[in-house]
Amino acid sequence: MHIFEGFLPSPWWQIWFVVSIPVILFGMYQLNKLVNERREVVPLLAVAGAFIFVLSSLKLPSVTGSSSHPTGTGLAAILFGPAITAVLGVIVLIYQTLFLAHGGLTTLGANTVSMGIIGPLVAFLFYKAASKAGVNFYLNVFLATAIADWVTYVVTSVQLALAFPHPEGGVLVSLAGFAGIFATTQVPLAILEGALTALIMKYVVQIKSDVLVDLKILTPEAVAKLKEGMK
Amino acid sequence: MAYILDDYAILSPLRTKNNWLKLSIVAFGVLIGVSSPSPITPFLIAVCMSFATIFLAKIPAKFYFKILSVPAGFVLVSVIIIAFFFGGGTYLFSFDVFGYTLGVSSSGLSMALLVLARTLGGMSCLFFLSLTTPMVELFSVLKATKFPDSFIEIAMMMYRYIFVFLDVAMGIRNAQTMRLGYKDFRTSFRSMVMLGTNLFIRSWEQGEKLYLSMNSRCYDGKLIVFDEKRPVKASEFLLTSLYFSFIIIMFYYTRGIFVV
Repeated sequence: MHIFEGFLPSPWWQIWFVVSIPVILFGMYQLNKLVNERREVVPLLAVAGAFIFVLSSLKLPSVTGSSSHPTGTGLAAILFGPAITAVLGVIVLIYQTLFLAHGGLTTLGANTVSMGIIGPLVAFLFYKAASKAGVNFYLNVFLATAIADWVTYVVTSVQLALAFPHPEGGVLVSLAGFAGIFATTQVPLAILEGALTALIMKYVVQIKSDVLVDLKILTPEAVAKLKEGMK
Repeated sequence: MAYILDDYAILSPLRTKNNWLKLSIVAFGVLIGVSSPSPITPFLIAVCMSFATIFLAKIPAKFYFKILSVPAGFVLVSVIIIAFFFGGGTYLFSFDVFGYTLGVSSSGLSMALLVLARTLGGMSCLFFLSLTTPMVELFSVLKATKFPDSFIEIAMMMYRYIFVFLDVAMGIRNAQTMRLGYKDFRTSFRSMVMLGTNLFIRSWEQGEKLYLSMNSRCYDGKLIVFDEKRPVKASEFLLTSLYFSFIIIMFYYTRGIFVV
């Protein structure tokens, strides 16, 4: 993901801005509410954001106007929900644009939609559904994070395919091409990222489980059960 | 993350110029570049901005081209693919690979050149901004806008925590290297896993400490940044308007010109 500056032609970059702005405004409203209610989560919010920045800066070369890297948004989506993650994602993307020249200003909307909005949203929905179904917490975190990664790349492929349709086969042929190129690097990367996030969650449960209860990610009983399993 | 452009931005002589002027130059370049139908205008923007970055902002040319070559390399590969797969009609040249005919048509080639020029133009504008304006300066710009305080606060904290992350990672990595943690592939892998998982927890702890110490010094969510008044000088204004009018004139006259 992280489509380069100037890569998307005219109707498309505006469209993605229009799509992303309402979500970001809603996210800012939610962020404001959360920060006003519980100021003690501010460090965790900022660290989760910095985590997204660090992970998504580890880019590997990938063709077609984009690059391949972990996204790190799954963790934030599970902790704070998709709307706030979208805000963190925008901040990260702006920083990367400004001091790594990674991504771009006109493509900011498109990158926000893929990395900040749709990826975390799907991860969050998956996490909620799977925890209702009683899936093991760590397995759930692993899957949700990996899915956030994959969905992000599928969305990026769709964005690129819509902007550069194949002259004969149309959008679908382009989509298959872009997605195929991403898949070679993204499938192993997403699995690594999922494993890393699940391990981090294990430490969080061990050391700071009260935060997870505070943010209503786990019930106190679930935490007690997970801690029981570690002994 | 091989380099932090902020280091150069802090030392640049253009740092003390008006932030809004720099931002408008960059926004102008990016918008004109992306809306130009001909590859000539974005290419001119790339030349002008690179000139400004090297000669006005005094960034070493070698360093500048080195950092520009990273995204340019990515883009070049992408552009070659676009040239081959997009655009129909008759081929300018073609060859057969395993029974498939691969060829470049004129519409594919002109599209590839346009994307290349736009991306280079946009990149050089972004590099101009990041090599002349440190993040700290942009925070005062952000303060002047109407974003909620909590958003600006999180943005500033995140900026700080990126360096906390790097610090912690560096510390752990040095400690591991000293204990032969990277002597072969197996130990390297183990060390990387340890580093990855501990990094988050450690940075979080560091962050909480920082937050606590700020709170005990009466931090209430508002960091006051000193916003220095830097009026735009007449000479700067003149140079910028010359540049703007030159690009607009070129935009108008080259709009129908295609290289291929």
